[in-house]
Amino acid sequence: MSDGAAHHEAGCAAHHEAGCAARHEAGCAARHVAGFIPVDDVTWELPPDAHREMRVPARVFADRELISQIATDRSLEQLRNVAMLPGITGAALAMPDIHQGYGFPVGGVAATAVPDGVISPGGVGYDINCGVRLLALPLTAAELGTRTGALMDEVARRVPVGTGHGGSLQLNAAGLDRVLTGGPAVLLAAHGIGTEADVANTESAGRLAGADPAAVSERARQRGAGQLGTLGSGNHFLEVQRISRIFDPAAAEAFGLRSDQVTVLIHSGSRGLGHQVCTDYVRRHDAAQHRHRITLPDRQLACAPLSSPEGQGYLAAMAAAANFAWANRAVLAHRVREAIRRVLGAEIAAATRQVYDVAHNIAKLEEHAGRRVCVHRKGATRAFPAGSDEIPAGYRDVGQPVFIPGSMGTSSFVLAGRPGAMERSFGTTCHGAGRRMSRTGARREVTGAQLRRRLEEQGIAVRCPSDRGLAEEAPFAYKDVERVVAVVEAAGLAGRVAQLLPLGVLKG
Amino acid sequence: MFSMADDGYRWVEHTAELELEVHGRTEEAVFAQALRAFAELVGDRTAREAVTREIALAGAERAVLLAHWLDELEFLAETEDLVPDAIERLELVPAGLRATVRCHRGHPRSVVKGVTYHRLAFERDGDGYRATVILDV
Repeated sequence: MSDGAAHHEAGCAAHHEAGCAARHEAGCAARHVAGFIPVDDVTWELPPDAHREMRVPARVFADRELISQIATDRSLEQLRNVAMLPGITGAALAMPDIHQGYGFPVGGVAATAVPDGVISPGGVGYDINCGVRLLALPLTAAELGTRTGALMDEVARRVPVGTGHGGSLQLNAAGLDRVLTGGPAVLLAAHGIGTEADVANTESAGRLAGADPAAVSERARQRGAGQLGTLGSGNHFLEVQRISRIFDPAAAEAFGLRSDQVTVLIHSGSRGLGHQVCTDYVRRHDAAQHRHRITLPDRQLACAPLSSPEGQGYLAAMAAAANFAWANRAVLAHRVREAIRRVLGAEIAAATRQVYDVAHNIAKLEEHAGRRVCVHRKGATRAFPAGSDEIPAGYRDVGQPVFIPGSMGTSSFVLAGRPGAMERSFGTTCHGAGRRMSRTGARREVTGAQLRRRLEEQGIAVRCPSDRGLAEEAPFAYKDVERVVAVVEAAGLAGRVAQLLPLGVLKG
Repeated sequence: MFSMADDGYRWVEHTAELELEVHGRTEEAVFAQALRAFAELVGDRTAREAVTREIALAGAERAVLLAHWLDELEFLAETEDLVPDAIERLELVPAGLRATVRCHRGHPRSVVKGVTYHRLAFERDGDGYRATVILDV
């Protein structure tokens, strides 16, 4: 039995003693999962009295099938640990795509009070502002016809994958500083990359305030140099898709989406620069735990008060890395437009518009229920509802666009933020399908060559230089994305707008 | 050069990341095995230009030092395309380590985002040492 499982058993017993029976009367023992009590059909809660160090409840949005899958690894133990962070408010939350991470679970959300609550670099993760950008082409899949393979070949020629560098946009030190401060708007002004509409249709307009290049180490700069416009490896990908179904015609119209339209989904982050920022500040915060009199159940949760020099330093460096990530996806989108121009023509390329770009590894200062809080989203997406002035004007009547990539070969979804997100999850929803199988486990089940053949039999053009990397991202290694999306919709966090099916995929 | 006869490493099941468990008869052997594991992970065995790099790391705590060691190998892979082949010299002192690492220039996969402190451990195990480190990939 793992330590986590041992805790679950202990937590279960303690929970029953602490009053589970009083709340739920008969049948509780049969209904709870790993100490988490069902609150409604899609919400599970571990009360704060389940562990003496918990400051708030731990709450998971999941149906019974998903919570049973989630309970098979250390995810729930990690979420319980997040509930112990100094200054955490409301609840430690997890989306239905939660899975075991390191420190924070992936799919976790934590809001800490400003200014005395903490900020934790591990609560954002190494890939700061990993996120997703959706482009919509002015043509249908039927019109694209047999040119998908040629388009994928051209994209693969222009988008470096897998290795640590190879981006064609080289910046000097001053140029990098400007990107770290200003994000994609700087690339537009200085290099003609992207459009004003692209920048406007980006979360936070692609620029987090407070970014300070001086807070980013020389080592981080060296790792990031040459990586702007590179996809990376692991679960990063670029997918050409078609819209197979519209659920919400009004929202789809507002987002400029129609049935059978071709889209391109880009999933990447801040590359080595962001990875190093996280490494640097986990070390600094770890070294300062004693001075701040912070005791944690997991060293990777290392944190510092938001008002402290360590906390302020991380906020400034994280914002810079976030701006770098938005710039990275802007360059990737630019390369996609170049490929479209070459294969499909200049008119199609010029009319290819960016629907939106969302971050799913980030910490942001926001107002919720009249309080200023720092919302950590690690593998979770902001999902503000209609009416929010944080949403581009064209989308303000329907809610913020959210993109949920499925696993390779399965559906992805476009969602729109709903009021329930503000009421229940600090304006947040899920970020993907969520892994359920290890990488080694996936490789035992299928080889890269077998998977490549299966996907191509489904009519999906696969461009991936690494058989190992391909096998590790096999569709069965992930949860059922349709079930994940159904849960966030039932919880009122976000609503389905459109379903996307893959035509071609580029992976690192 | 260290003998690898009774030392080793293995990848432990983890839902999303990579959990590395290393064992060695000496502390130095643990660092050598971690280097072997990293070389397997970045996956480039093409024999090209051979180079050596001097590495000096500070840290009194062996577990943290091991994390920094792997982080340094990733830095060399990302910034110089270097794949580590072997340790030519490794000196562990109370305040850190100094090493000479033989590498080759290749096309290493950029897979390691970060070397985490989650369940990071370096401890005595019978007559030798055992370490655990989880990599964000």
